[in-house]
Amino acid sequence: MSKAVLVDLTKCIGCKSCQTSCKQWNDLPAIKPQFDNTLSYPAETDGYTYTTVLHRTTEKNGQETLRFAKRQCLHCLEPACASACFAKAIQKTPEGPVVYNPDLCVGCRYCMLACPFSIPKYDWESVFPQIVKCQFCFDREGTHDRIGHGMEPACVNACPTGCLKFGERDELLKEAWKRINKYSKYIKHVYGEKEAGGTSWLYIADVPFETFDFRTNVPNIPLSTYSHDYLKWSPAVFIGGGALLSALHFYTKRRNEIAKEKDKNHDINA
Amino acid sequence: MAAQKWSFKITPLRIILMLLAALAAVIAVYRLATGLSTVSNLNDNWPWGLWIGLDVLTGVALAGGGYSASLIIHILHVEKFKPLSRSAALTSLIGYLLVVAALFLEIGRWYNFWVPFVSWGYHSTLFEVFMCISLYTLVQIMEFSEILTERVLTFLHKPIVKIMPVLLILGTLLPFGHQASLGGLYLLQVGRLHPLWWTPLLPWLFLMSSFFVGPAMITIESSLSGRAFNHHIDKQILRSFIRISGYVMIAYLAIKIIDLIRLGVFGYIFEGSLESNMFLLEMIIGVIIPIIICFSPLSATKKGLITFGVFTTAGVVLNRMNVVFTGMYKALGSGYFPAWTEWAVSAGLIAGGILLYLFIVENFNILEYDKKYQTA
Amino acid sequence: MAGLANSFGRGAMTNHFNDYKNTDVFLVIGSNAAETHPMAMKWIQRAKELRGAKLIVADPRLTKTAAHADIFARHRPGTDIPFLLGIMNYAIQNNLYHKEYIANYTNASYLVNPNYGFQDGLFSGAGEKNGKFSYDKNTWQYQKDGETIKKDFTLEHPNCVFQLLKKHVSRYDIETVSKITGVPKDIYRNVCETFASTGAPEKSGNIIYAMGITQHTYGTQNVRAIAMLQLLLGNIGKAGGGVNAQRGESNVQGSTDLAMLSHLLPGYLGVPNATKHTCLQDYIEKETPPSGYWKNKPKFLISLLKAFYGEKATKENDFCFDWLPKVDGKNRSHMGIFQEMLDGNVKGLIAWGQNPAVGGPGAQFERKAMEQLDWLVVVDLFETETAAFWHGPGADPKNIKTECFLLPAAFSFEKEGSVTNSGRWIQYRYKAVDPPGEAKTDTWIADKLFKAIRKEYQNGGKFPEPILNMHWDYDKPGHDEPDIAKIALEINGYAVGENKPLDSFGKLADDGSTVCGMWIYTGYWAMDKDFKVAKCKRRSREDSGLGTFLKWSFSWPLNRRILYNRCATDPQGNPWDPKRALFKWNGTKWIANDVPDYNSKIAPEKSAQAPFIMLPNGNGRLFANGLADGPFPEHYEPMESPVSNIISKQQNTPCASVFKGDWAKIAELGDSRFPYVATTHRQLEHYQSGAVTRNTPSLVEVCPWMYVSLSENLAREKGIKPGDEVWVETIRGKIKCLASVSPVVKPLTVNGKKIEVIGLPWHWGYQGMSTGATANDITPAVGDGNTSIPEYKAFLCNIRKA
Ligand code: SF4
Ligand code: SF4
Ligand code: SF4
Repeated sequence: MSKAVLVDLTKCIGCKSCQTSCKQWNDLPAIKPQFDNTLSYPAETDGYTYTTVLHRTTEKNGQETLRFAKRQCLHCLEPACASACFAKAIQKTPEGPVVYNPDLCVGCRYCMLACPFSIPKYDWESVFPQIVKCQFCFDREGTHDRIGHGMEPACVNACPTGCLKFGERDELLKEAWKRINKYSKYIKHVYGEKEAGGTSWLYIADVPFETFDFRTNVPNIPLSTYSHDYLKWSPAVFIGGGALLSALHFYTKRRNEIAKEKDKNHDINA
Repeated sequence: MAAQKWSFKITPLRIILMLLAALAAVIAVYRLATGLSTVSNLNDNWPWGLWIGLDVLTGVALAGGGYSASLIIHILHVEKFKPLSRSAALTSLIGYLLVVAALFLEIGRWYNFWVPFVSWGYHSTLFEVFMCISLYTLVQIMEFSEILTERVLTFLHKPIVKIMPVLLILGTLLPFGHQASLGGLYLLQVGRLHPLWWTPLLPWLFLMSSFFVGPAMITIESSLSGRAFNHHIDKQILRSFIRISGYVMIAYLAIKIIDLIRLGVFGYIFEGSLESNMFLLEMIIGVIIPIIICFSPLSATKKGLITFGVFTTAGVVLNRMNVVFTGMYKALGSGYFPAWTEWAVSAGLIAGGILLYLFIVENFNILEYDKKYQTA
Repeated sequence: MAGLANSFGRGAMTNHFNDYKNTDVFLVIGSNAAETHPMAMKWIQRAKELRGAKLIVADPRLTKTAAHADIFARHRPGTDIPFLLGIMNYAIQNNLYHKEYIANYTNASYLVNPNYGFQDGLFSGAGEKNGKFSYDKNTWQYQKDGETIKKDFTLEHPNCVFQLLKKHVSRYDIETVSKITGVPKDIYRNVCETFASTGAPEKSGNIIYAMGITQHTYGTQNVRAIAMLQLLLGNIGKAGGGVNAQRGESNVQGSTDLAMLSHLLPGYLGVPNATKHTCLQDYIEKETPPSGYWKNKPKFLISLLKAFYGEKATKENDFCFDWLPKVDGKNRSHMGIFQEMLDGNVKGLIAWGQNPAVGGPGAQFERKAMEQLDWLVVVDLFETETAAFWHGPGADPKNIKTECFLLPAAFSFEKEGSVTNSGRWIQYRYKAVDPPGEAKTDTWIADKLFKAIRKEYQNGGKFPEPILNMHWDYDKPGHDEPDIAKIALEINGYAVGENKPLDSFGKLADDGSTVCGMWIYTGYWAMDKDFKVAKCKRRSREDSGLGTFLKWSFSWPLNRRILYNRCATDPQGNPWDPKRALFKWNGTKWIANDVPDYNSKIAPEKSAQAPFIMLPNGNGRLFANGLADGPFPEHYEPMESPVSNIISKQQNTPCASVFKGDWAKIAELGDSRFPYVATTHRQLEHYQSGAVTRNTPSLVEVCPWMYVSLSENLAREKGIKPGDEVWVETIRGKIKCLASVSPVVKPLTVNGKKIEVIGLPWHWGYQGMSTGATANDITPAVGDGNTSIPEYKAFLCNIRKA
């Protein structure tokens, strides 16, 4: 069974409890971010921050209002970041979390580019920077583990409003739809149900997800499908190509030799 | 020949190149010791910048001249092109060495560079690129050691000549893999990379363009070295050589057009945006004009050949830069412009490459060998 | 709190947080619960989800609370009274008020002196006393028949409170209110309709407020308006109803209960006045009402004196009443003290967990005032701006002679003891970690300080008796820390000679046989029979379903969760809403889901006559004749206002506490230099003056910059872009901060005129990890006539690019 979190943005009050408790649980350093007009600090997750609460003003029923969205790794079911990592430093665990292991990381940052949600960040200031992203409080045998101990993530634990709910993905997905069908305020879309082939963190909201610049043009299939569709040819190309090239090599060589010999013969005959 | 002395002419241009290379070396050491943020403007929005775009993606494509030549000369045994083989192989080798150097600077945890050899992330396109480039560089070094061992470590010469066919086949095959895979890296950018560039066929387009840029590079290079070392290649040979490129370009153009139509994004070409203009520029300079030159009497002239070379090469550079920068600009924002140190390293690497080329050409049997075939 | 005490009898939140889930309609006014009380928001959301509750938010700013509102009414700072009176008017005009409730449980039926009147914005009796405006309250008294007040239960008599109220609020029709407040008429009508719908007996409406209501020159009357509206709609004493004052700190209710105020002794006993109360007898006679629960006041006071002076307090010596400090009629509130300090009359200051250099009104002047001190002791976690006043902006350390001491204090997690939350729950907490370095708990500091002072007095001094004879016996053998249990026992109360905590203040006596440090808490330290712990340590989640959680901690008084809960049923004892029945009279006894706040031994009809047991007449006050500035609230403009009062000729409240000097300078009406309305506010990332939060890295990170919110419109006019540095100026000074441009604030149309509003958080200062301009440097030092609370929430300013 795979663990998941349902984020109901209609309940979020932007209190940032999730954000600070994540920092504290994970022993992340605090920084002093740039001024941000929306007062989202930091304005994006960064090399020291797994999760941040985005603040946006938007309009609803003809009046301005505020909405908030906690942002962190979505823990894709088939993560593009993991598929992109050529050293297996990022891996999807059967429990659900997509976790990063700095010991294997080469620092190529392809995962940063690969993630359709722009989640992985880098602690640029270090001499040997690490990739930084929410680990879903999963740190088997480590000091920051909660999931492994059967606890809910630190952020979920800290949320006062029930905006964050931890559980099994299929159950939470059902609940998400139940809420959507019960209350008319919701947008009829569970963000993460299908995006990039599905994610472990699911969002529901009463404003369009574009409000928070959530990408809505992410394909509904795992992104890795595209590279797999391509990579699956590799063995064939290498074996077939190898054979073909060898054959060509010897064939053309032979042909040239024959041609030369012919020339010679021709000379002799002449 | 064994008694020949090492020689390296010092000219003002070479001094400049050396200074550039030395500066790059200093910056490189500094970067390795202090991290990336001290020398680059890379950031969370733009994790990949100039070094990947120019030094790696473009570098590999341009260094690809080696493999198209190798395919044509060694595998298909089109003997008339033999005069090109050694200089093509050298450029290619140097190109790859630069790519490897750039990659080493690029990775944040460089002491872990070996990890992928043991921890195989085989589902990653980058894994294929990495493995291929590593193997290929190795193969190239071995291939090239045929030439080296003519002068140094001569006892190895015989065994190397023996295994040459295997090396040659490998050396042709591997680039197919990573040239395509470099394009494959951007498959994951679906929805982010502008649709004028993103297509599931991206790897194959990269492969084709890296193939047709090979002969173009060789024309440029031979005309340069022709001037410098009096190493003139018969125009006719070059002309039929670039013809091969020409056919591939026609195929490339056709595929690209059909693909754009198939994906329903043809309209973007003429929308007048930065992306569409850059795309048009890339296609006109890099594909359409070269095709025209190639299949017209122009290609019989020296000027025509050089123009073909320059345009095609520029087109491919533009294409790679468009994929890395122009096409991603909308998705990633405008938060990146390379730092002077990044430019300096890129320039220094190229300078170093040129110096290495010059040194090798002056001291090893590269052009002579080619000449021999030319006169044969 | 004065507004509440004068309406209901106690100055405390009537319900509690968990009870919010029972509400049908919330009106949150002058409170930003989502940021300042996030846990309250949890229960508001629960009510929305469980019962489709509606949330109305009235605030000048689009707050995080407003973001969740069903109706958001943007009103101009300082116009709460018209906003609230308008709803009352609407409810009365449309017959939506709870008639049976007000007739029985409030003073609606009382007849008032026929000479009572109201004209031109002033109540009858306006006059001058000692050169200051004041009301003669004679005409505000009830008509009496001997000792009994005349009543008309039909509520028709023209002199009855209800008719007076009806007349008073009739001037606040939707049109007028909209003109004053700037709330568009359709939105305001919607507010009225929605909230007045809770006048139906089976509905519960809940008003939540905080500093946005109290910090005005008429803050007490703002609270009164809320209390009256809730009485009118019958929302007091019910599950899901109430007037819920959300306190500004985790334990501010506790500190109010224990009288961290200049005019009170612990347990809301008034401080004796030097001239008025020359002896105990005087005090008892003058201050004990003949009826209501306060008739027991002597018991509470004498038990308190026993707690102060122990065996020394005997009947013969008036239980040492003479030793109690007395007030002299001068203003001894925060601003009063600083005024004296400015004048050089105050020589020493102990700032204990307080940071007036940031938090006080006209903070720059308060720092100036501190320069006059001979010595300053600051007890805090960090070197606050107050501790560092001598090197603040504009201070020249060379010229400051003040000797400063900083005593490092322990944080709340580093000490044991109880905390009283807004909902009056006294919850015991244990120490999580030891304090760092030399930091000590407050009790330790107080203990050592007192002992040291006593030692000094042993060598003589002025009036040493109260110090030398103070009962001070909190030592715990073998420990450096005083014994918390001994202190708790003394607060709770015990019978002399027995060291057992009493379980009810009903057992306190006025003969010196009982000791009690604070009568309203009695019982909190008593043992729970089932759990074998002191009641404030209980943690049982057992519940009736109404969220009263009677076995979780202890709620003063006597574990009552909802105050005035006699009003939860009709006079016969039937719950107004059977689904949310706190009580039900089954013919012989009460079925209870809460602890009755009334005499449950008598028949329901009898207890129904005096459901507000702390008030002398036992009825909630729609008309309150005890306040300085009027029996009904009336709209006046803030002291600094861009518009003239359109409802009367009286521009400002005549009773404001005004001070002298630069810090009390006030911009005149229509001063073109200061055309914009400013309001200060808090935000969730920082706490109070930021003394702790601006020194906590992870909190600095989530809001590192002082800023000012201004509207997109104003920004455009002034050429200010987001993130620009700007000056915000008032007549008292100017501060520099960054601009946040967003629809959080918007211009309002006030009587046809466009008024821009700007918002300033006040958490910053020049110390700590995140520094920034102090908003209070430019707030006015002018206060409420009853409580002297400063008017932080509405003043005039200008803004320009720096
Ligand atoms: S959201 Fe991005 S970083 Fe997280 S698992 Fe998916 S691809 Fe990886
Ligand atoms: S799941 Fe854990 S690591 Fe991820 S955001 Fe929440 S607290 Fe942080
Ligand atoms: S803790 Fe919950 S309510 Fe608060 S910001 Fe995070 S998700 Fe929103």
